[in-house]
Amino acid sequence: MSSVNGAVPTTIIIAGLALAGYALVMTARNRRMTVPLLAAVGVLEVLLLVLVGLIVARLAGGERPAGLATLIGYLIAMPFIPVAAAFWGLAERSRWGPAVIAVAGLVAAVLMVRLHQIWPVIHV
Amino acid sequence: MSEPAAAPGPRGPQPDSTRTGPGRLLVAVYALFALAASARAGVQIATKFGHAPVAYVLSAFAGLVYILATVTLADGSPAARRIAVVSCSVELAGVLAVGTWSLADPATFPDATVWSGYGSGYGFVPLVLPVFGLLWLRRCARRARTLRTTATSAEDAGQAADGAGHGRDGGPGHSAEDVVADGRN
Repeated sequence: MSSVNGAVPTTIIIAGLALAGYALVMTARNRRMTVPLLAAVGVLEVLLLVLVGLIVARLAGGERPAGLATLIGYLIAMPFIPVAAAFWGLAERSRWGPAVIAVAGLVAAVLMVRLHQIWPVIHV
Repeated sequence: MSEPAAAPGPRGPQPDSTRTGPGRLLVAVYALFALAASARAGVQIATKFGHAPVAYVLSAFAGLVYILATVTLADGSPAARRIAVVSCSVELAGVLAVGTWSLADPATFPDATVWSGYGSGYGFVPLVLPVFGLLWLRRCARRARTLRTTATSAEDAGQAADGAGHGRDGGPGHSAEDVVADGRN
C-alpha cells in the first residue's frame, strides 16, 4: 500500500509551527492582526484543502482506514480551523488576535500527527 | 440579568467583557475542545459503545461542559458569567476526578477520554484550561464591578458620563477593554 504524498503533511506541520511562532511573537510584542499574518493563514488553509483533496482521492480509490468515521470528521473539520481562527482573531483589536492564529497553527501541526495515527498511509 | 447595566447604550462594555482580550484566546481554545471532545464522544458512542462505556459517557459529558463554557464565555452577560463559573468549576473537578480515576483503575478506561491522565493525551491543556477560565472570570467580575462603580459616579456627575474616559463610544465596546487588557497583561 503506497502512502499519501508525505510532502504535504510535512509542509503543513512546518507552516503551522512557523505561523504559530510568528503569531506568538506578535502577541509578545503587543501587535494586532496584520495583513501578512492573514495571508499566512490563507496559505495554511490552501495546504489543508490540498491534503483533504489527496485523502478524499485515496478514499475514492477504494481504500479504507479502520476509523473511517473519525477520518471523515477530521476531513470536514480541518478546513474550518484556519477560517474560524481568522474570523475570531480579526474580531479582536488587541494582541490576542494573533494569539488565536497561533492556536490554529499549532492545531494544524497536531492534526497531521493525529491523521497519521488514524490512517498510517498518511505519512508525515 | 439582575445586575444593573453599566452603560446607557445598547452595547456597553459588559456583554463583551469575557470574550475580548485574553478571553478571545480562551474562547478559541474552549471551542476547539468542545468540538474535539463532543465529536470524539459522538463517534465512539455511535460505533463502539460497548468497548468502553464509562470512558465514552465521560467524554460526552466533558464535551457538553466544554460547549457550555464556550457559549457562556463568548456571551459574557452577567448571567452567562455565572454559568461559566459553574461549568469551569465542574470541568476542573471533572479533570481531577477522572484523571485520578483513570490512573487508579485503568481497567475502566480501555479507551481514553479527554480527561484521562489529567488530560495528558491533550498536552495537559484540559487541566490548565479551567484554571485560566476561572482566573479570567474572576478578573472580569472585578472589572465589571469597577466599571459599574465608575459609570454610576459618572452618571451622577451629569453630562460628563460619556466623555469620562471609559472609551465606551469608541467602537462597539472594545476600547476600554483593550486598554485594561493591555495594561494588565
